[in-house]
Amino acid sequence: MSASATPGLLDFVVDRLEVGIFVVDSGMQVVLWNHFMVMHSGRSAEEVIGRNLFECFPELPKVWLEKKIRNVFLLKNYAFTSWEQRPYLFRFHHNRPVTGGVDAMQQSCTFLPVKGGNGAVEQVCISLFDYTDTALYHRQLTNAIGELEQEKAEQRRLIDQLEDAQNQLLQSEKLASIGQLAAGVAHEINNPVGFVNSNFGALERYVSSLLTLIDAYGSADHAAEAPAIRQKIDYEYLKEDIAVLFKESRDGLERVKRIVQDLRDFSRVDSSLEWQETNLHTCLDTTLSVASNEIKHKADVVKAYGDIPNVECLPSQLNQVLLNLMVNAAQAISQHGTLTLATGTEDDWVWVAISDTGSGIAPEHQKRIFDPFFTTKPVGKGTGLGLSVSYNIIAKHNGRIEVESELGKGTSFRIWLPIKQKSELSA
Amino acid sequence: MVTEKFKFVLADDQKEALQEIANIGMGQAGSSIAQVLGEFVQLSIPRILVVPPEEVPTALAWNIGEATVSAVRQAFHSAMRGEALVIFGQHRCNDLADLMGYEQDLDHAAEIELLLDVSNILVGACLGGIAEQLQLNIGFSAPSLMADALPLEQLLQGSPVPWSTALLVEVNFRLETRSFACHLVLLMPDEEVKALMVAVDHFLESL
Repeated sequence: MSASATPGLLDFVVDRLEVGIFVVDSGMQVVLWNHFMVMHSGRSAEEVIGRNLFECFPELPKVWLEKKIRNVFLLKNYAFTSWEQRPYLFRFHHNRPVTGGVDAMQQSCTFLPVKGGNGAVEQVCISLFDYTDTALYHRQLTNAIGELEQEKAEQRRLIDQLEDAQNQLLQSEKLASIGQLAAGVAHEINNPVGFVNSNFGALERYVSSLLTLIDAYGSADHAAEAPAIRQKIDYEYLKEDIAVLFKESRDGLERVKRIVQDLRDFSRVDSSLEWQETNLHTCLDTTLSVASNEIKHKADVVKAYGDIPNVECLPSQLNQVLLNLMVNAAQAISQHGTLTLATGTEDDWVWVAISDTGSGIAPEHQKRIFDPFFTTKPVGKGTGLGLSVSYNIIAKHNGRIEVESELGKGTSFRIWLPIKQKSELSA
Repeated sequence: MVTEKFKFVLADDQKEALQEIANIGMGQAGSSIAQVLGEFVQLSIPRILVVPPEEVPTALAWNIGEATVSAVRQAFHSAMRGEALVIFGQHRCNDLADLMGYEQDLDHAAEIELLLDVSNILVGACLGGIAEQLQLNIGFSAPSLMADALPLEQLLQGSPVPWSTALLVEVNFRLETRSFACHLVLLMPDEEVKALMVAVDHFLESL
């Protein structure tokens, strides 16, 4: 049988094809050895043909390869080797002596059963393909993928670091705003404590006078002096004033108690990381009272609360945002103005607007106000983190924050929050 | 709908004939494999299923019962065309190393080569057995690694079978004296199954 009209063409092609082709019989004797094998092995066909393959090439893995060839005889079926698992069968030089990077030609082989007329396998034809280029390319790709994976891991690490830094920023901003507040709160508490204290001084003197008077009444010797003492200590005034002092002191203590309560509500130490159904009006009120020292001398507060449902949020974080916006509003007012707190609802959203009649934000600054460390306040007055942190807190709530501002007229911040968080976030 | 157009069912006598052909083919395969390995091989009776491609992973998972698998795919062509999957459990076929002329200490590359070798033998023997019954010519491409110790459910993930119907022929192998077992699955697209059934019909007529 001939696959060609030209005699000898097939022989020529088999011999000269850029593929290693050799044939062995069942005794492992070589019966065909083509030009490719001659060129690369340095052994001529005359040297090899008729001899045992493993005698000619003792470096071949005999046990394994002979088993493999025998299996082709037995099973009458193809067998294969791949450069990926076994880089080469014969150690040949490869076509990249200079730029290579592999030590030998990378080979994939096919073992083809050559059947005789009766269907039995008489010989096995082994074709050996040069896969060096593919192997090198493959190796480059593998390296590139490895590098990408490494970069990905590095990026993951950096993202984690960023998240840590972000959390630290959040914490330090919280501490900064608490520090800022502490002075104001100290004043708020100091004032009632001061006057309760001085009331106590007066009450001490009054009690001492009254005791003197009572002693005089109770003693036979001094009973006559009693009316004079009564006159001297101005008993009628004392009676009135004691009631006033008690009432004032009680009010003062109430104020201290309320401030402490508000501070506690504001910070919600015990539940700072829990999503809760929260009344935003309560949040606004507690925050307002915590910040009152910053606000009361600068602005009249107008509340325009709408009818809104409870909102699923992290209350202490939201309070931090409200505090930030209120303090900013107060600071934007140079003499005296109005601070308006408004709320409302639209579809599945609730909004809170905090508006001032202050100096406004210059248009060129409006784009940057949420950037970390951006501040127009004098050094030492602001961290430049307040609005950035606020922005992130609102983003964490899947909400958004909008700003409208006009120089000289004032600024209005509006926070939009979804009433319900998506379940995986609230979980 | 495309799926409707290509949908087919095997007639009972066709399925019976195919089952018979597969049984005889596997019998021959068993004896050739035993010759190669020098050990007695247990083969299950081939299970023949016609399933929609989306059910192929489930059908495989149902019968394999190994959590972590390694798998080899090998294409066959000419008169019969399709892909054979050979699925191994956790120990792959390392226990066959000496039978295949390998040193005992296998590195990873040798383990994979052994896996490919054994798969090639099983696929060649089984498909060769079937093809011989049907007097069909069959050729094979080199086997390639499809899964290197992956969870079973990831086996066919990301390589959806783009056929409307798949013929699944499943055989289990076991060696009595060695800890070795694997599953051979032949997947053929519907068009090819039609061609196969023509051959089966010829076979029936020639009886």
